Amino acid sequence: MQDFRFSIDVPVRNQWADIERLRASVQNCLMAVFTDVGGVNALAMVTGELLENAVKYGHWGSDGGVFRLRVSGDRRQAAVTVENPVDDGAEGPARVEATLRWLGRFQDAGAAYQARLLEVAAAPRGTSGGLGLARVAYEGGCRLRAERAPNTLRVTAEWTFEAGA
Amino acid sequence: MSTRIQGLQASDLSIEVQATDDGLCLVWLGKSNDRYPGQVLGPFFDGVLQHAAAQSLPLEMRFHHLEHFNSSTITSVIELIQDARTRGVRLTIAYDGAVKWQRLSFDALRVFDRGDGLLELRGG
Repeated sequence: MQDFRFSIDVPVRNQWADIERLRASVQNCLMAVFTDVGGVNALAMVTGELLENAVKYGHWGSDGGVFRLRVSGDRRQAAVTVENPVDDGAEGPARVEATLRWLGRFQDAGAAYQARLLEVAAAPRGTSGGLGLARVAYEGGCRLRAERAPNTLRVTAEWTFEAGA
Repeated sequence: MSTRIQGLQASDLSIEVQATDDGLCLVWLGKSNDRYPGQVLGPFFDGVLQHAAAQSLPLEMRFHHLEHFNSSTITSVIELIQDARTRGVRLTIAYDGAVKWQRLSFDALRVFDRGDGLLELRGG
């Protein structure tokens, strides 16, 4: 098969229930394409975590809102991108960027994840966060980056399949 | 042996409570993807731990049939580990080590194993 490129590009409503619909949809689509079940599960998890972050930390008006999910790649690699509106002065996007800088200080994503687990355990209940991105890096095995445009945050997780398709 | 603990059904997640020869076993089924899973899991775990502590029963969480959980659920599992230790309840977390996401997720929880015999992670 020469052309193995794939792309899922959809607008997403700012509704929590839609996250699982999309996570499962991405999982089912990729399961039909790839034999690396662990990899497909990882990409589905990454999709879910990034969508959850968008809903939690995005800037949403009283009438809801729409953001964007893109999952694309080929037989060797994939990228999950979530782009959502943000309030540039709000804590949410700054927190995402700070978490990515924090993750970048670790050579090993597993060490970063375990450090985050310990932080969650030490924090007062209901106040901790940032576990999702650490999980994307560790369990998902992804390289993460964030890009800002005015009132927009785009987070991309890049992933490489272990055994190709 | 009968138990007074009821299972949990919340959205896509079910947790069945089974009495075993020597303790309580909670079997996770489905998906845990709630935005605030702690609001449901916290009170449920509290009741389970209260019962286990009162009866001096060890507790086992079986995740083999769980399809997916979000990171907020992991936070609830961490709180369960902490609360079980506080109450002196021996907790076993059992999972499918052949399933990559389960192995990675649960192996990482070994960071909470203090070698006091109160937490066992079993990837069989």
